[in-house]
Amino acid sequence: MAGGFVYTAVDQTALSTAEIYGKALADIILKDPKVVAITADLAKSTKLGDVLKVCPERVINVGIAEQDMFGVAAGMARAGMIPFLSGFSAFTSMRACDQLHTDICYQNVNAKIIATHSGTSFGQAGSTHHAITDLAITRAMPNLTVIVPADGFETANAVNAAYDNFGPYYIRINRGFDRVLYENQDYGFEVGKAVEICPGTDITVIACGSCVFQAKQAAEFLKNADGLSVRVLNMHTISPIDVEAIQKAISDTRRIITVEDHLVTGGLGSAVAEVMAQYGKGCAFKMLGHKGFAMIGLQEDIMADAGIDANGIIASVREMMNADFEEDDNWDDEV
Amino acid sequence: MHEQNELYASKIFFNAALPLLKVIANDVPSIKAKFDKLTTVLQISALDPEAEGGKYSTHFVITEGVWETKLNAIHEAPDVELEFKDIETMNAFFKGNMLKLPKFKGIIKNFGAFTALLTTLLKLSALTGATEAPKDEETQTLMVKCFFYLLSSGISQLNKMGHAEIKDWTTKSPDRVYAFAVDGHPEVSAFIRIKAGKSRAGRGEYKRAMPFFTLRFDSLTSALGILLSTDDMLEATKAGRLIMDGGPEFGAQLGGFMLEVGALAK
Repeated sequence: MAGGFVYTAVDQTALSTAEIYGKALADIILKDPKVVAITADLAKSTKLGDVLKVCPERVINVGIAEQDMFGVAAGMARAGMIPFLSGFSAFTSMRACDQLHTDICYQNVNAKIIATHSGTSFGQAGSTHHAITDLAITRAMPNLTVIVPADGFETANAVNAAYDNFGPYYIRINRGFDRVLYENQDYGFEVGKAVEICPGTDITVIACGSCVFQAKQAAEFLKNADGLSVRVLNMHTISPIDVEAIQKAISDTRRIITVEDHLVTGGLGSAVAEVMAQYGKGCAFKMLGHKGFAMIGLQEDIMADAGIDANGIIASVREMMNADFEEDDNWDDEV
Repeated sequence: MHEQNELYASKIFFNAALPLLKVIANDVPSIKAKFDKLTTVLQISALDPEAEGGKYSTHFVITEGVWETKLNAIHEAPDVELEFKDIETMNAFFKGNMLKLPKFKGIIKNFGAFTALLTTLLKLSALTGATEAPKDEETQTLMVKCFFYLLSSGISQLNKMGHAEIKDWTTKSPDRVYAFAVDGHPEVSAFIRIKAGKSRAGRGEYKRAMPFFTLRFDSLTSALGILLSTDDMLEATKAGRLIMDGGPEFGAQLGGFMLEVGALAK
C-alpha cells in the first residue's frame, strides 16, 4: 500500500476529487522513479500542479492529442514505467477509445488513466464535454479495472490502489468540489468491494461517484420522514463489480435502485442488472441516470433534471416501496 | 351486541389459538399416535344469531391422521363438536373457567376422536397457560413455537378485524415482514407480513427477503423468559438474551401488539 496520505475534513472543503488526485500522485511520484504523469495539454485542469512542483521532469505534455497520449503511455509501460495519464473523461474514453482498447487493455499494460470532468460535472461546457457513456465503454474493456470514487478520500484510495496493483486502471473523477462522504481514508476501501454507507432492509440504493452522497442524504431523509430503512451501497468499482454485495442486496431487500451520473444504458445500472439476471431471484428494480443527452448547465441542475439528486432518489424510493416483492397476493393467515 | 374485546378474544381463540391444535397433534408423538390413521371432522363453535350460519366456527378435517384447518367455516356434519352457547362462554372457558362448558356433540359415536381432541385441547391449555418454562427442550420448543404462531396470527387477526392501533400500523406500512426467531431453532420461527392495511401471519423462516425487523432470542429459555413474562425485556436486551434486528422503536411497537394479544388470549 502506498499509504501515508492524511487529509482532514478541513482540507477536504478546499479539495476537489481532482485536486486530491494531484496530491496523491505527487506523493507517489516522489517515492517511485518509475512513475510518470502524462497529460494532453490539460495539466492545470487535471490538477497536476502539485506534481509539476515536486517533479516537473516526469510530467509529459503530449499536446492536445489523447490518442498519442495513450500510445506513449503504453510504450512507457511496456518499458517498465508506471504512467498516470490524465485527461477529460469524454476524451479518454471516446476519442482515444481504440488506443485504450488495443494499446492499453489488449496489451494489459501497467497504465493508470485518471479521467476527470466525468459525468456531467463539467455540465456548462456542453454535451461535447459530458462524459455519460464512458462507463459503458470502459467496463466492456477486458483487463481494465474501472473505479468511480465518491469523494476525495476515496480518490486517494483509488489512486493508491491503482499504483499498488499491476494492470490498467480507469479512475473516473469529477471536476468540481465534491461533497465529502467519508471522514478519512480509513473506511476499508478495497477494489471490487462495495462499501455499505447506510444499513437497511426495505430497499437498497446502489450508487457510484457523486451520486453516493445524494443517496446517503436521501436515505437519512427517508428514515426520518417515512421511517424507511434504506441500504446505501457505494459501488465504487464498476469493473469488476461486487457480485456478492448485489446478490445479498437482492436477497435481503428485494428492491434495488441504481443511481449514476451516466446514461442508464451500459453503466452501473446495467452492471447490476446483469448480476441480477444471472442470480435468478426476483427483485423490483429501477435504474436512475440520464435517459439521453443531458441538458446543459450546472451539475446540480442536471442531476435534479435526471432525478439523480437526493430528491429524485427519494421520489423513486417512495414509488418503489409500493411495489410488491412477493409474487402472490395471498393475505390469508397460514394455519 | 358483544363487547369489542369479547369479539377480539373470540377471533383470537378461533383463528389463532385453535389452529395450534394441529401443531400439537403433529409435534407431540403421544398425541400424534392418537390421531394416527384417524379420519374424522372436529369442530369447535360458538352460537351467535348475528353470525353467518348462526355460529362462529373453526373445524379440522383429519384424513388418516393428516390435519387440515378450516377457519371461519361451518361444517354441517362434524363427527365431534364442542358447541358453546355464545362467544362470551367460549372465551371464559378458554380463559380457564371450566364451569362454562360447551355442549359435546358426537361423543358416544366417536369416543376415540373425542378423547384425542380433549387430550390435545388440554395440552394446548397447559402450554399457553403455563407460568414457568418447562424443563425439557422438546416441550420448550413446542411452547415457543405455539407462542410465536399465536402472536403472529393474533396480531394479524386483530388487524383483519380493524383493531384501531394495529390497523393504523399496517395501513401506514409499506410491504414489510416482522419475524420471531430463536438462534439455532429455525423450526419455531414465525412472521407477519404487513402492507397498506393488509396482513398475513406465516410460519417458519421468511426467506423471500430479509425481514424488516426480527425479534430474536439467543435460546429457547430466553424466549420463554419474555413470553411468560418472567424476564424483563430491557434486561434481556442488555444481556443479549433478546436481540432486536432492526430499529428498537419498531420492536417496542411489536411488543405492544404482543401484549395486546396476550391480554386478550390469557
